[in-house]
Amino acid sequence: MKSIHFVLLFLLIIAGITGYILLTEPPVGAAGVPHATIQGMSAGGDGAARLATIGKAPFYFQIIVILLAVSLLTMAVHERLRDTRFYVLMGSATAFALFVWYKVYSGYEAYLATGETDIVFGFPVPTTWMLWGIWGSFVLFDLIFVFFFRNYFYTHEDEQAFEQLVAELNAEKDSAAKQGDA
Amino acid sequence: MEAFRQEIILSSVFIYLVICIGVGIWAMRRTKNANDFFVAGKGLGPIVVSLAVFSSTLSGFGFVGGPGLVYATGLSSMWMVVTSALGYATGFYLISKRIRMIAEVRDTVSMPDVVFARYGSEAARLLTAGTILLGVLGYLATQILAMALVLQSILTGTEMFADVSLVMCVVMSSTVLIFYCVTGGVIASVYTDLVQGLVMIVSGALVVITAAHVFDGGFSEVSNILLSNGGEDIMPFGTLGAMASLTWFFLFGLGLAGQPHIATKLMMNRKISDNRIILPMTIFGYVIAAMLWISVGVVMRALVLGDVGMPLASPDQAAPMFLTTYAHPLLAGVVFAGLFAAIMSTADSFLNIGAAALIHDIPKSIRGKVLDNELFWARVATVGLAVLASFFALYSYYENGDLVGLLGAFGWATFAAALVPVVLIGLNWKQASSTAAIVAISSSLIINFGIAVFKIQIPYNISAGFLAMLVSMILFIVISLLAKPKQLPHDIDRIMDL
Repeated sequence: MKSIHFVLLFLLIIAGITGYILLTEPPVGAAGVPHATIQGMSAGGDGAARLATIGKAPFYFQIIVILLAVSLLTMAVHERLRDTRFYVLMGSATAFALFVWYKVYSGYEAYLATGETDIVFGFPVPTTWMLWGIWGSFVLFDLIFVFFFRNYFYTHEDEQAFEQLVAELNAEKDSAAKQGDA
Repeated sequence: MEAFRQEIILSSVFIYLVICIGVGIWAMRRTKNANDFFVAGKGLGPIVVSLAVFSSTLSGFGFVGGPGLVYATGLSSMWMVVTSALGYATGFYLISKRIRMIAEVRDTVSMPDVVFARYGSEAARLLTAGTILLGVLGYLATQILAMALVLQSILTGTEMFADVSLVMCVVMSSTVLIFYCVTGGVIASVYTDLVQGLVMIVSGALVVITAAHVFDGGFSEVSNILLSNGGEDIMPFGTLGAMASLTWFFLFGLGLAGQPHIATKLMMNRKISDNRIILPMTIFGYVIAAMLWISVGVVMRALVLGDVGMPLASPDQAAPMFLTTYAHPLLAGVVFAGLFAAIMSTADSFLNIGAAALIHDIPKSIRGKVLDNELFWARVATVGLAVLASFFALYSYYENGDLVGLLGAFGWATFAAALVPVVLIGLNWKQASSTAAIVAISSSLIINFGIAVFKIQIPYNISAGFLAMLVSMILFIVISLLAKPKQLPHDIDRIMDL
């Protein structure tokens, strides 16, 4: 299977999960309720009740979205350049992104079950994982781009090949212009 | 100094606006043809490009609409922000190299030009240009509305302009924007972005520090107040819930590369190898500046729910109200200038790509050639678009009461759903076909606008833009797989091999 087939597969799974969610009967306040007294502000209501009809669908949804994102990113690197190190790098970053997502969601579920949470770096634990972990886990992919730019994304050979293409096209243009003048 | 708060704020904003006008006049001398007007002659250095990319991403939508959304719905909208590292990764991995190469060999000045070069289809070019025009009107209206709301909040604090109307604020703020965009084109746009990006970074950093000191216990006390008032708002999915948040993550994480005002900037750099420097600088700038989004929003929500502050007349007042009430006058002056910077840096990009669609891409796809005196008509189109978007902004605000943040999300969705499959996948997959591109763009527009026009409520607040993008991506791949592969033009084929 090529990357594009994985992309299509993950898109279809996401469509399936979304379809399943849309077919359930949303509980009251599934997307928040207007605040009782403050205009323009919404309240969350009962978080557990909001998830009761769809179960862990959001958890699986996001796992597939992460895998879709990685499949798309992989498409950017030409197949001839993808070596073992590339797959190890991408695999490690993906594993970390999935771990962070697990921490966000399991932390939120724990809060819904107990009504309690610790505050770390100014925010509830699952929120801190979301704010810094989600962002940080995808920064790893950015770092792969920065540090392995010449290995996978724009090799010196690619640069030479592109310069040659530009030179050929310019020569063709010059030749056509001279013929036009003549 | 407190006695002169409004004067300090007004002076800061005035100085900033004068700088923008100055840059416009300077850039006018460097703008000699349409290529300069639209893509700055493809000769910009990495610092200018990175600041232009991040400041165009984080607009009035982020600086005004963002805090407004957090005030209204808790942390749901933070999924638009934490996805930035993924968003920039998709942009730089998947399009930065090839879009720059195509710009070099085909002398392209716009996204529709790139689409035509890739697919060889005038229909695809026309649809892309049409999509950009539609998205620009919505997104530009967001910026103009945000700019006017900020200006109004400043002026109403003075005795002289206490009763200034929103319409007057739209006129005043748009005039400066139009001036420097018309005179200097994209050169003025990217160099004002340089100033604007720096102001935004400083503003973001200073506002976080200020917000952390509003309550004695800092953000921990903010969290405790919110937890004792229900708590869902300060948890990861906010009051809108998990599916609303996660579909925003999808739309914003994978949709960034489809934003023409951002992708076009990636055509302007001097060297492709600069991308490895541009990416980290872009992310650094974005993260610092985006801290304003969350910090102001949660503090304002905690102030109101904790009975310390009065409820806001509109959630979009969160940032201006925070600055006028809680920030040191000097800081407020800098940050208000930062708010204008954030808004204008995106608005000028939209004026630029909208003008390109109107006078470059659409005539090219219909007549087969560009207009005579393209530079003149580009300037006329810039004025026309700004005026039209101003009317749209006022209509949206008075007739529908739309929030800046939600208008911005709609504009983003229009671009992402239509252009991500065509550009992001199309530039990395040789089998992608022009028919698939046309179907993907058309279907996304029908779904996006259909849901908006008929006011269809989607359960669990699942993003309409996400649905449109999901459908368009699936259709694009399936139709391309079913089509017989076509031979690409020689130059594009070789670029796709690199």
